[in-house]
Amino acid sequence: MLRVLVWEFGKLVRLRSVQIGLLAAFLLPFLWAFAPGLRAQYRIELVSGWQVPAFALFTGMDFLFPFLTAMAAAEVLGSEVSMGTLKSVLLRPSPRSRLLGAKLVVVLTYPFLLLGVSLLGSLLAGLPFGLGSFLGGTGLGPGSFAGTGEPLTPGAALSEVLRAHALAGVVLWPLSALALLYAVIFLSTTAAALAAVSTLLLMRLLVAFPALQPFLLTSYLDLYVRSEAVSLGLPLLFIYTLGFSALALLIFERKDV
Amino acid sequence: MGAPAASSSGAALEAIQLSKRYGRKPVLEGITFAVQPGEVYALAGPNGSGKTTLIRLLTGLAFPTSGVVRMLGQDIYNGGYAVRRVLGAVVEAPAAFYPHLSGRQNLEMVAFLTGMSRPEARIREVLAKLELLAVADQPVRTYSLGQRQRLGLASAILHEPQVLILDEPTSGLDPQGIGRVHEILAELAWKGVAVLLSTHHLREVSVYADRVGILGGGRLLEEVRLGARGETYRLRVDDPARAAAFLKTVPGVRNVSLRDVNVVFEGSPNLALAALVRENFQVRFLEPDYFDLYEYYRERVKRASG
Repeated sequence: MLRVLVWEFGKLVRLRSVQIGLLAAFLLPFLWAFAPGLRAQYRIELVSGWQVPAFALFTGMDFLFPFLTAMAAAEVLGSEVSMGTLKSVLLRPSPRSRLLGAKLVVVLTYPFLLLGVSLLGSLLAGLPFGLGSFLGGTGLGPGSFAGTGEPLTPGAALSEVLRAHALAGVVLWPLSALALLYAVIFLSTTAAALAAVSTLLLMRLLVAFPALQPFLLTSYLDLYVRSEAVSLGLPLLFIYTLGFSALALLIFERKDV
Repeated sequence: MGAPAASSSGAALEAIQLSKRYGRKPVLEGITFAVQPGEVYALAGPNGSGKTTLIRLLTGLAFPTSGVVRMLGQDIYNGGYAVRRVLGAVVEAPAAFYPHLSGRQNLEMVAFLTGMSRPEARIREVLAKLELLAVADQPVRTYSLGQRQRLGLASAILHEPQVLILDEPTSGLDPQGIGRVHEILAELAWKGVAVLLSTHHLREVSVYADRVGILGGGRLLEEVRLGARGETYRLRVDDPARAAAFLKTVPGVRNVSLRDVNVVFEGSPNLALAALVRENFQVRFLEPDYFDLYEYYRERVKRASG
């Protein structure tokens, strides 16, 4: 399985959508750090480089990161279909579940890769503002950008930033699994990515039904800044991820390719 | 290669009442046939006749609406993935590979997925057999169509399968490549491998195929057995009419007739040639007169569609 996983990661980083996505995730923080007009829109002046990751995360998680995640997850299977290599692999005496299982691990890892690159870009973009102790908040912990009134040490700031990025990665899991499920159903990158993004947009519209709101994926896209919602949101995100993954594995087992 | 096993019926590959529908549209209906170990079975049929769908069903890539496929007696749909250990297949033309990997790396991946231990020597052997050693370490994206097709066959025979299923294995190959592929397939069949291939090159395939299944409209219209090959000969001489009349008098030569400018006969080609040379006929060529499968196929498909 390890060798299959290594292959799958090798294939992942060669995907065009992944390369473009990682580049965008890396460059986005620089936009925030060096575009005063955009900061004015949020009425925030950066006082520390530790605040750049929050800006990148807020804007990225609004649409860009979910979109890039769905694209990559769809292309992980869709590219094999379009290249014809899926058939070659499935002809071998290896269970279909092993192949899709490896792809699932890869697509669930991708959000962390994307967010990791975004964090790296954020910290580099934040260097001119300094990464030492500062009076204020990272935007991702208590007191948001204003902070608690106490100076924030680099260690505490890093911890807040890492926690938020890790939570954001988990928030993107169900979308990865959903895009892979659609890729199994449609065997097409475009159709799967479109279906996943459409589902996300439709779910956003379902806030019109307050009874449904606590159970919608879209209610937890900002979970990384709402610590009070973690106890309900996190198990729900896991259930969605497991459900979509199990369904993908089940359908793929008897799917005509 | 292990000794070929077979099912209780002796067949290496059996399709039993295989049907496939997409929605309400039938693509294949009631296909039943068997391929014995050491037999070459060619599938022929016009475009849209269901050849590719049938090959996908036979290889387990697609699932039938009804019917069963058995490989060495095991149901390929419910027998688990291990059944595919005996299968070698190329289901696309040109064969698909990871373009950033070299031919050798692609084969290493196939060897791993097939569960081969220490495949290096065997990989080298098949690359040499398919005349790909010179490009073995180049990325597949730099390969020509013919090289990719040959790499496809290399990947299919890498683990020495007992059942080989190939969709248009000579598509995109030059005449030399086509000849090489046919040689390899005939050799594998001689060693006991059951070979099933779909093809439009009926004349070439009829040289070594044992049976041809003609598909039309999703049904197996007919199976043609090519058992009597090589017993009839044809020759071309400077004066065919006189040569034919003369050959009728030669002992050991039978059923002499004229077909266009060729003289066709049964019996000993050596006796016929010696007698003609003795009588100062200028013999341009003499060769086995194979059953013209292509003409037969055209006629059969025309009849079915009419």
